Amino acid sequence: MRVGIEVGGTFTDIVAVDGSRVEVAKVPSTPHSPDIGAYAAIGAAGIAAADIADLVHGSTVATNAILERKGARIAFVTSQGFRDILFLQRHDRRNIYDLRYAKPAPPVARRDCFEVPERVDGAGNIILPLDETSIRGALIPALAAGNYDAVAICLLSAYAAPDHERRLRALIAEALPGLRIACSHAVAREFREFERASTTALSAYVQPVIDRYLDRFEATLAAAGFAGHFSVMQSNGGRLPAVAMRQTAITALFSGPAAGVVGAIRQAARSGRGNLITFDMGGTSTDVSLVVDGEAAMAPETEIDGLPIRTPVLDIVSVGAGGGSLVWIDDGGMLRVGPRSAGAIPGPACYGRGGTEPTVTDAHLVRGTIRADAFLGGAMTLDVAAAHAAFAPIAARLGTDIQGAAAAAIRLAVANIVRAMQLVSTERGRDPRDYALLPFGGAGPLLAAEIADELGVREILVPPNPGVISALGLLSADFMKAIGVTRRTALDAAAPGVLREIFARFQQEATAEFRALGLEGALDFALTADMRFVGQAFEIPVDIDPAELPNLTPTGLAAAFTAAHHRVYFHGGEPGRRVEIVGLRCTIRRRLEALPEFRERPTSLVRPAGVTVRVGAADVTAALRDAAGLAAGESVAGPALIEGYSSSIWVPPGWRAERDPNGNILMRGAAA
Amino acid sequence: MTLDPVDYAIISQAIIAAAREMGAKLVRSAFSTVLREARDGSAALLDAKGNTIAQAELIPMQLGTIGHIFQPCARLYPIESLEEDDFFAINDPYSGGQHLQDVFLFHPIFFGGKVIGFSASVAHHLDLGGGSPGLNPHAADVYAEGLIIPPMKWNMKRDWHGGNFERLLRANVRVPHQTMGDFDAQMAANAIGAARLRELAARYGADKLTAVMAALQDYSEARMRAAISRVPDGVYHGEDMVDDDGISEAPLPVRVAVTVKGDTIALDFAGTAPQVGTNLNAPFASTISAALSAVKAALTSPDIPFNAGAARPVSISAPHGSLLNPRHPAPVRARMEACFRAWNATMKALSLAVPGQVMAPGFDTTTVGVLSHLGPDGWSVYLEIYGGGLGATAESDGCDAVDGPLSNCSNTPVEALDQDFSFFRVLEYSLRADSAGDGAHRGGLGFLRRFEIIRDDVQIALYSDRFRHAPQGLFGGAPGSTGYCEILRGGETIRLKSKDKAPLRKGDIVTIAVGGGAGYGDPALRSAALRAADRADGAVTALQNA
Repeated sequence: MRVGIEVGGTFTDIVAVDGSRVEVAKVPSTPHSPDIGAYAAIGAAGIAAADIADLVHGSTVATNAILERKGARIAFVTSQGFRDILFLQRHDRRNIYDLRYAKPAPPVARRDCFEVPERVDGAGNIILPLDETSIRGALIPALAAGNYDAVAICLLSAYAAPDHERRLRALIAEALPGLRIACSHAVAREFREFERASTTALSAYVQPVIDRYLDRFEATLAAAGFAGHFSVMQSNGGRLPAVAMRQTAITALFSGPAAGVVGAIRQAARSGRGNLITFDMGGTSTDVSLVVDGEAAMAPETEIDGLPIRTPVLDIVSVGAGGGSLVWIDDGGMLRVGPRSAGAIPGPACYGRGGTEPTVTDAHLVRGTIRADAFLGGAMTLDVAAAHAAFAPIAARLGTDIQGAAAAAIRLAVANIVRAMQLVSTERGRDPRDYALLPFGGAGPLLAAEIADELGVREILVPPNPGVISALGLLSADFMKAIGVTRRTALDAAAPGVLREIFARFQQEATAEFRALGLEGALDFALTADMRFVGQAFEIPVDIDPAELPNLTPTGLAAAFTAAHHRVYFHGGEPGRRVEIVGLRCTIRRRLEALPEFRERPTSLVRPAGVTVRVGAADVTAALRDAAGLAAGESVAGPALIEGYSSSIWVPPGWRAERDPNGNILMRGAAA
Repeated sequence: MTLDPVDYAIISQAIIAAAREMGAKLVRSAFSTVLREARDGSAALLDAKGNTIAQAELIPMQLGTIGHIFQPCARLYPIESLEEDDFFAINDPYSGGQHLQDVFLFHPIFFGGKVIGFSASVAHHLDLGGGSPGLNPHAADVYAEGLIIPPMKWNMKRDWHGGNFERLLRANVRVPHQTMGDFDAQMAANAIGAARLRELAARYGADKLTAVMAALQDYSEARMRAAISRVPDGVYHGEDMVDDDGISEAPLPVRVAVTVKGDTIALDFAGTAPQVGTNLNAPFASTISAALSAVKAALTSPDIPFNAGAARPVSISAPHGSLLNPRHPAPVRARMEACFRAWNATMKALSLAVPGQVMAPGFDTTTVGVLSHLGPDGWSVYLEIYGGGLGATAESDGCDAVDGPLSNCSNTPVEALDQDFSFFRVLEYSLRADSAGDGAHRGGLGFLRRFEIIRDDVQIALYSDRFRHAPQGLFGGAPGSTGYCEILRGGETIRLKSKDKAPLRKGDIVTIAVGGGAGYGDPALRSAALRAADRADGAVTALQNA
């Protein structure tokens, strides 16, 4: 049996698949010790730990350790003259009119930052040799006295010439064998010292936390009889065996959203759809990503709490628009939705837990697309009167009725998500109308059709059990490792040779690493060159098919780059402009064999035949269907509400929904 | 037309998003370190009359007056006479611009044959000719500071990409590869803004879009007026000073009288020093920008869109012939110092009215350091912009080592400099301990960059301020600290003035150090825990504090 367990902030989700058997469950998370909730999920799904052959886990442990500054006690070591890199940062402010501005706090105090006499320049020339006497006499005693869990090393130019970092690591390891060490050249081999130092420090900071967490989780599972493979999800959309994850803990950040995208891609592939805009709408936010030919777009860097992390990640844009997002009117009289959220406590007004401000969920209840007695499969009854009351002040300010205010809130929530989708499509030179929308998360499928109408998208694919797609993504994720390497190279006749050489080395080292982890079978490789015009500081990724490497030409590469540049920036082909390659991103992947079928978890509600929903100025009667009862080939014309275990689908008038032969629900608009 | 509140909310947010996209792409496709790393550029969308609607929040100094700078162009070339592909260019400080390095471009946006708005961008160009690379600290007038572009109308098809305007520019700049690349980035940002506005017009109709543009200005105005109304009526005075004019040692006072009456506010800079013969004069457009930024930052919440509406309740005046409103052709390259003092004077005046909402003076100085080298392949110019420590507020310590409140430039990574320049090397980049003013909340720390010069025939040029007079604290807070620039040559230390230029030799060690911000409130009220943390982290050395 294959199992994915995703620990989120509020809920822990599990999906278990074994042949034709599919188990799905949602249990409350246990933030103080997430493994307890994860273990409870196994019980809730009605499976035995001993029956699990392959377990993939995603959690917010690393993310929370940073957000709550509860990571390890670490030291930071850098080149002489640059002790303050982590505090100087980039000398800019994120909010230019905030007089109380404070920089993002690094995970290490200035008192725990040390310098070593050494200097290497960008070409790898040694300007100042590594002073081993000083390291033995000053640094190592200071590290010993500091009682650190881990040390992060980031020396200038180590992305190009890592020898000094390696030697320093060896000296520290020899003197202080228990100390964990993270080196910048191993964590993020890319130039720009602050971003690399930040990544390395954060890596050292979360490493011991992840270690302890995995130790505890594995022990609990082993005691219950688990003897299968145990993997952990990464932010790049792939998994790694838990043992390897302990070396690259930093890639465990944001694994939840990445898992969701992977689950969405896998499920869409069954229906033959590879070009997607996925969106995961939960309680507080919506995560959006663009998928081209079955591959999610990657970004070279992300950030957490304002601190940069330079490691390849799935390119996911998050906006503060979720079911719990508050609807309000600001002091200039403008209607707003989010980014503040009612959270789990007090939650939307209709939860009856003391919330009085209206939320998007309340708006759904008012218009009729959420039914008071069908929430969470009927597990919770919502307070319709409270939702109406919450919208009354907004209605009064807007000069409309309660229904009008709720409709306005929904239109604004849709607009917020549309803007995030334009960020990943239009702003990157892609036309959203060429893509199918793939909504998931508890609140996504309720808004998908209205979002599609705004974007001009004509096709929506809704997977079964949209509320647990992240957990599905875990168990369907490939084994994967992605690295970035800075290697500045002019795009001249020698460039293809340089690419071939770097790629060949990666291929060899990564293959050996995967084999050592026991990952047998065919390995896939991907290669992306980050390119720019000489003089620019930001790169544009250009994908290169490794199979085409032998035939690669500088002119072909330049043409691909110029076209990409033009798509995004509306200029680029001016004569005389030289192109350079700044770095490469290499990916190794052991693909998974095909997944068994994924089906709706039935609900036991007794439903009326129809439900009243406000559409525009009129009340219409929408057909009410059980998602699990919609058989392959069966179709429903809007207006219709299709209720499932973890979320519902709203099919507006003019749209039609059909269960396709692959288990997904395909929705098409009037103009399709 | 009547505007549906939801349409209004959606379209206005889309316009703001378009301006943000323009700014992001301006920076990301730029070629010079000053635009791509320091991000010294801005972008905005204007309505059909040239009023600013929405801006990319990059550099406050450039944002305050984009609309004002547009008007001289429109006066000369009426908007009705514009054709597709026309655009305006201007940098002339005496026709409404700021300083020559900031070149403003405005492209009309046509929809259905009519102009529905303008896209605007401005970038600080690394070199625009003039008496020395990047910066001419000894310019006696504006002619010596670079190429002057009066309000002009050009056409993309005729005058760019090999056309007249492009060739004129290319012939006048020392680093054409970077400068022309940055101009292309500006053109592209404007094209993106135009495309997005046309998409909105197609989706919602030009009339509705126009109505939203008007409403968004009214919205900012309403929120600005609400904020001003909360300030007690009265006349409040504030003062600060620029160190000197770079030649004499006499300080140059900047004075303001702030009059708050109901929901309006007036700032009068009468009493400010007369204009000077060096480049420290601030063109009036710059003064307006600085004063507006101070009012907005102190009185309003940061999320109010900064557009023409926000400026309506604010009136600003400065005597003609003064440091803040000079007569042609006084040089203006280093306008930021006087602008920062206008900011400080305004903050001090407002501290008498709303003490909880202001910021104590920080180092608040733009320090521009330029290292240049003429080699066989032409000029190599490195320009870096240094902020300092910010002033403290009633609730928070000042931010350490960050750009000043009117600016928002990033640093250039040392590893990027290592790749791009071969005539110097960065030896040190560090916080300066003990540089912040004590207080219930302390100021932010200053910092320094130290360079080793590794070729002969290198020059340094810089302008800065607060080398003589440190920023003064508020409500009992202690002063921050001064900055300095020195050259270590053999055993000799050469101190440069705050506005200076000097030849450098191989082996010279150059240090540019900027100061910390002043404190806010009585130091006796500072918490013991914060004090202990500062000592442990070396922000304050034990010796000093003993």
